[in-house]
Amino acid sequence: MYLILSSIFFPILAGMFLLIRYRTPLSGEKNADRKALTTLTGSFLIVTAALVVASLLTVEEGFTLFYLTKTLPIYFRIDSIGTIFSLLAVIVLLCAGFFSFEYMKHEERESRYYGFYLLIFGVLNALCFAGNLITFYLFFELLTLSSMPLVLHSGSREAVMAGLKYLFYSLCGAYAALFGIYFLYRNCDSLTFTAEGALRASAVTEHGGFLMVVAFVMLLGFGVKAGMFPMHAWLPTAHPVAPAPASAVLSAVIVKAGVLAIIRVLGMFGTDFLRGTWVQTTWIVLTLITVFMGSLLAYREPVLKKRLAYSTVSQLSYILFGLAMMNGSSYTGALCHVLAHGFVKAVLFLCAGAIIYRTGKTRVEEMRGIGKEMPLTMWCFTIASLGLIGIPPTGGFVSKWYLAVGSLESGIPVFDVLGPVILLVSALLTAGYLLPLTIHGFFPGADYDYNMLQKKEPCKWMTVPVLILTILSVIIGLFPDIVINLIRMAVTG
Amino acid sequence: MPFVCNFPFFSILLSLFSGTVCSMLPAKAAKVVNRTVILAVGLMSSVLLVYLLSTGEAFIYWMGHFPAPWGNEIRAGVLEAGMALFFCIIMYLSMAGGAHKLPGEVVESKHNLYYILVNLLLSSLLALVYTNDMFTAYVFVEINTISACGLIMIRQVGRTIEAAVRYMIMSLLGSGLLLFGLCIMYDLTGHLLMSNIKESVGLLMANGEYQIPLIVSVALMCIGLCIKSALFPFHAWLPDAYGYSTVSSAAILSSLVSKGYIFLLIKIIYRVIGFDIFNSTRIIDVLFVFGLMGMIFGSISAIKENDIRRMIAFSSVAQIGYIYMGFGMGTQAGMVASIFHILSHAATKSLLFIAAIGLTDVSGGSRKFFDLTGAAYRNKWAGAAFTVGSLSMVGIPLFSGFISKLLFAQAAVQVEGKMLASLIVLGISTVLNAVYFMKTVIRIYTSAPDAPYKGITFRDMKAYAVALVFFILLNVILGVSSQPIVDMIGQGLAMFA
Repeated sequence: MYLILSSIFFPILAGMFLLIRYRTPLSGEKNADRKALTTLTGSFLIVTAALVVASLLTVEEGFTLFYLTKTLPIYFRIDSIGTIFSLLAVIVLLCAGFFSFEYMKHEERESRYYGFYLLIFGVLNALCFAGNLITFYLFFELLTLSSMPLVLHSGSREAVMAGLKYLFYSLCGAYAALFGIYFLYRNCDSLTFTAEGALRASAVTEHGGFLMVVAFVMLLGFGVKAGMFPMHAWLPTAHPVAPAPASAVLSAVIVKAGVLAIIRVLGMFGTDFLRGTWVQTTWIVLTLITVFMGSLLAYREPVLKKRLAYSTVSQLSYILFGLAMMNGSSYTGALCHVLAHGFVKAVLFLCAGAIIYRTGKTRVEEMRGIGKEMPLTMWCFTIASLGLIGIPPTGGFVSKWYLAVGSLESGIPVFDVLGPVILLVSALLTAGYLLPLTIHGFFPGADYDYNMLQKKEPCKWMTVPVLILTILSVIIGLFPDIVINLIRMAVTG
Repeated sequence: MPFVCNFPFFSILLSLFSGTVCSMLPAKAAKVVNRTVILAVGLMSSVLLVYLLSTGEAFIYWMGHFPAPWGNEIRAGVLEAGMALFFCIIMYLSMAGGAHKLPGEVVESKHNLYYILVNLLLSSLLALVYTNDMFTAYVFVEINTISACGLIMIRQVGRTIEAAVRYMIMSLLGSGLLLFGLCIMYDLTGHLLMSNIKESVGLLMANGEYQIPLIVSVALMCIGLCIKSALFPFHAWLPDAYGYSTVSSAAILSSLVSKGYIFLLIKIIYRVIGFDIFNSTRIIDVLFVFGLMGMIFGSISAIKENDIRRMIAFSSVAQIGYIYMGFGMGTQAGMVASIFHILSHAATKSLLFIAAIGLTDVSGGSRKFFDLTGAAYRNKWAGAAFTVGSLSMVGIPLFSGFISKLLFAQAAVQVEGKMLASLIVLGISTVLNAVYFMKTVIRIYTSAPDAPYKGITFRDMKAYAVALVFFILLNVILGVSSQPIVDMIGQGLAMFA
C-alpha cells in the first residue's frame, strides 16, 4: 500500500516542490542553477522509477484510500494490464526525461517543465494503478490538466491556442465518459474494474439498447484522448508544439491513457455484451477510417514533428482496431502494439528533437544528408521506422501479425478481410512517409556538397536514451515470448 | 428546554444590536466588534449543530409568551444550524480577505457604517434561516435588501450608484411579489406560522378547494425569490452589483445574500407548501427550464466579458441555474444536490472574488484581461487560489464543484423525463465554464516580461493570504469528504417535514 501511494505521491510532491522552489524565470532568462536543477530532477525521476518497479514486484491486495462519497471509493489495485502500461510509462518517461536535460538547454522556463513532467509521472502511475472507474476518471482529468502546460510551454500564441484546443477536446471527451459512468454506476454492483463485465443481468435485459448507446458514448469520449476519428483534430495540433521530449511523452504514453481507458470500459461492459452489435461495427469502421486517414495525412505533411503526430493518430487506431475485433489474438496484438508503438514513437520524436536541437531543421525536405551528419541518431530513426512499418524482426511486426491473425479469425463479415487490407495499405503509406528521411538522409544524391558536412552528433545525454529505446523496440520483436506471456496473463486475468 | 436552544435567538439579536452599537464606535472598534460577533455567532451555531445532531430532533422556540397560532416562532434543525455556521465562516473569510482593500474603496468616515451594514446583513440572514413565521421572513427579506443596497453603494463611484438603484428596483419588485403571494396565502389559510399554513394547505388540497389562488400564491412567492436570487431572466442587476462594489461586498453578496433567499425558498417548499404538493404543480417545470437556460446563457455572457470581476459575476448566474435545476427535478436527491451546491458555490465564488482582487491589484488596478497577463507570478497566492477556484467551477475531481456535479447527475439519472436534458446541459455548461475559467488561468500564468507592475510578497499581505488558504481548504474539504455533509443535508431535510 505504501509503495503504491509513494510511487504516486512522491513524484507529484516532487514536481510541486520544483514548481514552488524555483522562481519561473521571465521569458529570455534562463534558470541560473541549471546543474542543481537537473541533478535534482534526475534523482527524483530515478527514485520514482524505483518505487514503481518495487510496487510492481510486490504482490498486493487492492486498498481503498478514502471514500469520495459513501459508495465511491478511491481504490488502487495493480493488475497485469496496469503493469504493462506502467512499464511503458516508466521506461519512456525515464529516457525522455534524461534526454530533456540536454535538449532543454535551448528552451526557456526549465523548472516549470520539469515540475509538470514529474506531476505527469505521478498521475500516470496513479492511472495505471487505479482499481475502479471513478479513481481512473479523477486521474484522467488530472492528466489532461498536468500535461497541458507542456503543450503551452513556449507561450507563443500558436502554443496557447493548441493548448486550449487540447483542453477542450479532452474535457468534452472526459465529460462524455463521465456521462457513461453515471449510468454504469446505476447498473453495476460496483465500479471496480473487471474483465468479464459488471452489468447486472437484470439491467441488460431491461434496457440493453440504452446501455449500448452509453457504451458507444463512453468509447467515443475516451477515444478523444486516443485520437480516434472524428475527435482526432487536437492531436496533430497539440503534440508538435511541445518541446520534443514532451511530444515524445505525449505521443508515446499519454495518449495510451485513452487506450487504457477503453480497455477498462470494455471490461466493465464485457465483450460478450458488445460483440456483434452495431456498437462494434461502428467502432471498427471509425478505427479503420482513422488508420487510413492518419497515414494519408502524415504522408502529405512536410513538417517532421507534425508528420509524426499524424502517424500517432493512425497507429493508435491500430490498437483500437485490435480491441474492437474483440478476440484473443487481436487483443494480444493490440496490447503488444501499445508497447511497440510506445517505444518506437518515443524514438522518432526524440530523434526529431535531436535534429532540431543540433541543426534547427524542422521540415523534411531540409533534412537531406542528415544521416551523414548525425549517423547514430538517424540509424535509430531508421530502425524505429522499420518497427512502425512492421518489418521483422522489430516489435511492430509481432503486433501487426497478431492484429491481422485476430482479424481473420474473428469471422465478422467484410471486416475480417477488409481490416488486414487497410492495415497493409496503411503500412505501405507509413513506409512512404518515414523512409524518405532515411533515404535522403543517408544518400543525399550526387549534387550534395560534402564539404559542407559537419559532425553534428549530439552528446551522450541525448543518444543513450534514444539507443535504449531503439534496442527495446527490437527486443520485443526478437523475443516476443516475454511480452506475449505477460499479455496472455493479462488476457486470462 | 436546555440553554443551547436560546442560541438562534441570541445569534439574531446579537448581530442586530451590534449593528446599533457600531454606529457609536470609531471605525477600528467597529471592525473588532464585527469580527467578534461573526465569530461568536459561528461558535454558537456550531454548538447548536452538535446539540441537534446528538438529539436528532428539531425544536421550536417561542418568541414571547403566546402559543402556536398567534405567537412568533423560531425553529432550528440540523440544516438551519449548519447553514448558519457555514454563512458565518464564509462571511468571516470574506471580511478578512477584503479588509486590506477597504481604506481604498470606502471613505474613512463611512467605515463604521460599513460594519453596521454587515452586521445587519448577518442578522437578516440568520433570521431568514431560523424563522418559522412567514411575516418575520418578509420583514427580514426587506432588511436584507436594504443592507445589501448599502453594501453596494458604499463605494461611491458612478457605476455602484447605478448598480444599487437597479438592484433596489429589482429587489423591491421581488419582495413585492413575495408579499402578494404571502397575502393571498394568509387570506386562504388564515395563518402566518409555517407549520399552521402547511396544515391548512394540505386540507385545501385534499378537499380540492381554492386550487388556482393557491397555485398563484405559490408562483408569486417563487418568482419573487427567483428575482432576488438572480435566476436567469431576472439577472440583469447582478453583474454591476457584484462587479463594482467593494471586494468583501461582492463576495458576501454573491455567496450569501442570494443563498439566503434560496434557503428561504427551500423552507417555503418544505415547510409551507409541502414538498409533494409543490412537486405536483407545474412550477417546478418552469424552474427547471429557467435553470437550464441560466446555466447556458450565464456562461455565454461570461465568455463575452472582458472584465474579470464581471466575468465571475456572470458565472454566478450559471451557478444559480444549477441550483434551480436541482429544484426543478422534484426529487429529494435533486434537492440535496442543490443544497450542496449552495455550499459549494458559496465557498468557490467568494474565493474567486477575493483572489481576483489580488490579481487586479498587481496589475495596476485594471480588470481587463490584457493587463492581467502574468498576474499570477506577481501575486502567487492569489494566482494559486484563483486556479483552485476555477478548477472547482469547471468540476475537476478533488474540488467541491465536482461533487455537486456528481450529485446533480446522480439525481438526474433517477428522473425519467428530465434526465437527458439535465445531463446534456450539464455537459455543455461544464465545457463553457472551462472555456472562460481556463482561459483566465492560462492568461494569468503567461509570463509578461515587460509588464510595468510590481509583484507582492507574502510579508505584505499576511491576512489576505491566510484567508485565501482557508478558502482553498474549505473547497478541498467539501470536495474530498463530502459524505458527512451530504448525510447532514439529508438529515436536515428529514427534520423539515
